Amino acid sequence: MGKRRSQGSGQDLDMTAAMNLILILIPLLLTSMESVKIAVVNVATPQIGPSSEANPPADRPDDKPLKLTVALTDRGITVFVRDQVIENKDDPLGPTILKIDGQEEDAEGKMIDAKVYDIDKLVEIISDLKDANPAEENIIITAEPNTKYKYIMKIMDATREKKDGEKKKTLFPNVVLSAGIA
Amino acid sequence: MAVKKANETYEYLPENYEEEILMSRKKSKTGRESEGGQKLNINSLMDILTIMLVFLLKSYATDPVNITPGPDLDIPKSTSLLQPAATVTVTVAKSSIVVDNEPVTVVKDGKVEASQKRGGEDAYFIIPLNKALVEAVEKKRRLEAINPTIKFDGVCTIVMDKESPYRLLTEVMYTAGQAEFSNFKFATISTAG
Repeated sequence: MGKRRSQGSGQDLDMTAAMNLILILIPLLLTSMESVKIAVVNVATPQIGPSSEANPPADRPDDKPLKLTVALTDRGITVFVRDQVIENKDDPLGPTILKIDGQEEDAEGKMIDAKVYDIDKLVEIISDLKDANPAEENIIITAEPNTKYKYIMKIMDATREKKDGEKKKTLFPNVVLSAGIA
Repeated sequence: MAVKKANETYEYLPENYEEEILMSRKKSKTGRESEGGQKLNINSLMDILTIMLVFLLKSYATDPVNITPGPDLDIPKSTSLLQPAATVTVTVAKSSIVVDNEPVTVVKDGKVEASQKRGGEDAYFIIPLNKALVEAVEKKRRLEAINPTIKFDGVCTIVMDKESPYRLLTEVMYTAGQAEFSNFKFATISTAG
């Protein structure tokens, strides 16, 4: 009986190499794999027809629709509300928020000094607008034709919600992308 | 006691050599067990690996959005938490536009060539992209006719490289709009949490 068992299992070969593979290599590979979670951002094309933009909010029937528009240009960010630019006090003819000095990633992934969009200031302005118009959820984002997609994504993130420590404040989650400024 | 024969030198086997051999075999057997070395049962380890493999295959196969990142396609990060859905996917990389794993047109310097657009350089309508999208829509409509539970919802997932210019994005969205897509989902890497 003992003889048969030892002959049947055939454990004469050295399992060290296979065990190295199984116990060391595969867990190492698994831990070094970065599990990336894919998320999506919903964007709609401009709706033709009645929308919440066309109908003024119920509590202020005399107001024109908000039509909040954020435009990204080479010089900075311009914010339009009710077809009027929010002026920058220092530079009335320029963008609402000028680009500031900062750091960004270049093509190779290194951080370099460059002029970047002032996202914090934009969040401030958008937050104030939300406080003034709590029912409004639509925002139109537009940009110059050569603006990079990553900046559009950053602006969409900034205007979707604001993190106040632990609390999240919803700003304008319904984004409509409009054709670029020619 | 060693007895030397004429042409052989070997140790004289003790009389009880059979018993000794059996004893040593038994000892080595127990010795092996107490060491816990060579007689290793790897059934459980193979179980773990098989289950891990099956799980990885399953999650790879059922992921609705399949992105192969590389120098050609580097998608941006976002704080969004929305889950991707299984829809028609348009992938806009640095060198080409691909619809559902079928290459459609070539992109150079963030622009589609004027010959591929209806109306020339300044136009928004990309002809081969529209053709591929219209075909995809037709396929979905046919499926809808056969199976009423599947509804064509006009949603298109756009996977775009983060260095692409806004102009290319508007062209793609306009062309998709002409093919009856009205809602878009932009795929991003989630940085939330």
